[in-house]
Amino acid sequence: MPGKTPDREPARGGNNNNNNKMKGKGKKGEDEKMTVVVPPSKKKEDVEGDVVVMEGVENEGEGEDPVEKTVADIKSNFALLDRAVALFDARFTLRALRSVSSIRKRLTGDVLARVVAETYMASSSGAEIAVGLLKAIGREEVQLGGKVGGGGGEMEIDSEPTTKAGSGKNGVKKEQKEVIPEIGVFLGILTQVLLHDGKQWQQGLEFSRYLIEKIQELNRRTLDGLSAKVYFYFELFAEQLAPLPPSSQSTIVAIRPTLLAALRTAVLRKDTDTQASVIVLLLRSYLLTSHISQADLLVSHTQFPENAANNQVARYLYYLGKVRAIQLLYTEAHNHLTAATRKAPSSACALGFGQTATKLLLVVELLMGDIPDRATFRQPAMEASLHPYFLLVRAVRVGDLEDFESVVAQHGDTFRRDGTYTLILRLRQNVIKTGIRMMSLSYSRISLRDICIRLHLGSEESAEYIVAKAIRDGVIEATLDREKGYMKSKEVGDVYATSEPGETFHDRIRACLSLHDESVKAMRFPMNQHRLELKNAQEAREREREMAKEIQEGDLDEDDLGGEFEGM
Amino acid sequence: MADRQLTTLLTQLRTPSLPFPQSTTLLSKAKLLLLQLSALTPSPTILPANLTLAREVYELGALHSLRAKNPDSFTRYVSQLQPFYELPPSAFSSPSQNQNKVTALWLLFLLTQGRYTEFHSDLEGLSTRGSVAEVENDKFLGYPIKLERWLMEGAYDRVWKAMKKGEVPSEEFGVLCEVLTPQIRREIASSSERAYPSLPFLSAQSLLFLDSEGAVVDFAHSRGWVIKDRTIYFPTAAELNADEEGEQEQEKEVGQMVIENTLGYARQLETIV
Repeated sequence: MPGKTPDREPARGGNNNNNNKMKGKGKKGEDEKMTVVVPPSKKKEDVEGDVVVMEGVENEGEGEDPVEKTVADIKSNFALLDRAVALFDARFTLRALRSVSSIRKRLTGDVLARVVAETYMASSSGAEIAVGLLKAIGREEVQLGGKVGGGGGEMEIDSEPTTKAGSGKNGVKKEQKEVIPEIGVFLGILTQVLLHDGKQWQQGLEFSRYLIEKIQELNRRTLDGLSAKVYFYFELFAEQLAPLPPSSQSTIVAIRPTLLAALRTAVLRKDTDTQASVIVLLLRSYLLTSHISQADLLVSHTQFPENAANNQVARYLYYLGKVRAIQLLYTEAHNHLTAATRKAPSSACALGFGQTATKLLLVVELLMGDIPDRATFRQPAMEASLHPYFLLVRAVRVGDLEDFESVVAQHGDTFRRDGTYTLILRLRQNVIKTGIRMMSLSYSRISLRDICIRLHLGSEESAEYIVAKAIRDGVIEATLDREKGYMKSKEVGDVYATSEPGETFHDRIRACLSLHDESVKAMRFPMNQHRLELKNAQEAREREREMAKEIQEGDLDEDDLGGEFEGM
Repeated sequence: MADRQLTTLLTQLRTPSLPFPQSTTLLSKAKLLLLQLSALTPSPTILPANLTLAREVYELGALHSLRAKNPDSFTRYVSQLQPFYELPPSAFSSPSQNQNKVTALWLLFLLTQGRYTEFHSDLEGLSTRGSVAEVENDKFLGYPIKLERWLMEGAYDRVWKAMKKGEVPSEEFGVLCEVLTPQIRREIASSSERAYPSLPFLSAQSLLFLDSEGAVVDFAHSRGWVIKDRTIYFPTAAELNADEEGEQEQEKEVGQMVIENTLGYARQLETIV
């Protein structure tokens, strides 16, 4: 198997093209294998099988002890990573990453140290990263290569050189295999999680730097999914360090060059996972320090990968929506934010994102002159956090300027924390417009003085200008009479006489159709299933041909057939 | 050596009444000196004192070019100042006297240009400097923010009052307000066209903030308004005609759109079923 050997070697050169070609070959080999049932002669498969079986046993046997179980859980992911590398399928990597959140709650330094110690041998090629891992969690004293505190460690270290020299020779000793770098990076992510939960920001940042360096050295495409996660925590650590983000001296400004370089590399290598993740992180970083124009430039100069993970798309849309809202492009912002709230996972773990996105969406809707649906505020998970916004919407809906000002004053801190304060300040004019619209709908004729009093405007003069502007902007259909000082409303036209219903109808149909298209595109078919069918078909055809040949030659006479019948 | 020369140049430049040609020569001399100090753009190796000098040169440059009504040069100076304002206060030997003023002028400048997107982007960036209330209550920074809010509301009379001679925070703002005046008048005119069927002369004069009846006549002519019996009639009928033609065209378009849409649905249905 020529395609496989380079896959297994942890330290590969930077020759990308070559690797990819090799990978392609390897993949082909794998495909062929898939049609056959696991061949027992292949050594690699053997190892994989071993791991899986072993894990199964461990899971069953030691399910009682939480530490043992966590160790086993972490290790069970190694099999997934192994397979991800072997089959070059990112789905297995994603599955491993998904388990991080469940492991997270039970993760401790000791557990991680034990896993690292048990996974790595002191002189294997991955040991360097293992030492780095142990150092980061403050357990340098742990010996590599064996159970913690067990006596077996030293013995194995002694015999290491021989095992390394010919990994094929030592059939007698315990199976000694090279630890793939993916496992190292996976353990690195767990370390990052641990440091993050332990609020060790500085160590976390340093360790992340180290890990990123390692990933760049390794340069393996199977690491892509993992490295996206590594960058994610890198940014998180930087955000927590003093001086905190709104200041322009924050650490996140300092790490931007690293992220930008990572983005460039990711784009060149068509590494969509890292690309999507880093674009989102950069946008977040720019918005945290209010560098709106830079964020805008980033968006216009990069292309967000189409097949990025759903969560990244949701985040990207949210940040994009925020940028557009600040830039007064409310329609665009509204589209992005609606998509973001819809794409956000509905489970409880993403509740925070859902709330934040919904808050921003509500403000943008108000800015567009729409009144958000009341049902939005009734969702049990959102109700409490959306309450200030509910009051805000109520004030805007009625067009009561005084009420609006008092809501803003009362909940100013909440809005500031949500980052919607400056947007909400812009709402003032919408409140006035709504107020005028309400007046125009309720009265066929009203004096400017009354408008001024009702809407709490400064003076009659202001009221006149404001109403005139509202008329020009198409907010109301009315005329002003200067001498007598009143506003006269025109008859409201019939909406169904315009093309508006048709347009709305068209929009909805288009949404349905695109949903259908997307679902068709999202369907997954087993890889190369058709090949199996083809093979079967070909075999059948060959059999038929043989039979035809035999009939032609006269070998197959009726006796033979009869015999077969009897046999059946 | 060079920094001492620069200090003397700066004292000369600080007099606001300096004629423009003289200030330009002084500024270019100052920039040459900055080049000798290699403090033209900020970098971590520059001494705080030199950075402070560089910042002041650019700030004065911006103010002088504004007084001379040179928008291009003003834009250039402000963009050169941006990296300086990004630096922490500890990087300079003394805090800037003019930072808020220059920023506020820049915001007002963006308003006069109708660049609202940039205006709001930069406004968002100000929130990093302090709380929103602090920014709004600042003598300089609060001014463009208030103006923008009133402009958006349509409270033009307040804008007008704020732009009067005594109300502007400093002399440079007056320069920009002069640019803003005809723009506001145009806004008022376009909303009046829609809002009033007709308008007496005197009302028009006060509405548009014009000084004399002659000015009203000139303005009315420039907008194509009809004047009859000391009353302005806005061109409603003509406009309606134009609108009707437009509507007919629109109707045609609507018909075509309906056909196109329906055909599209049919095609899509075919692929689905």
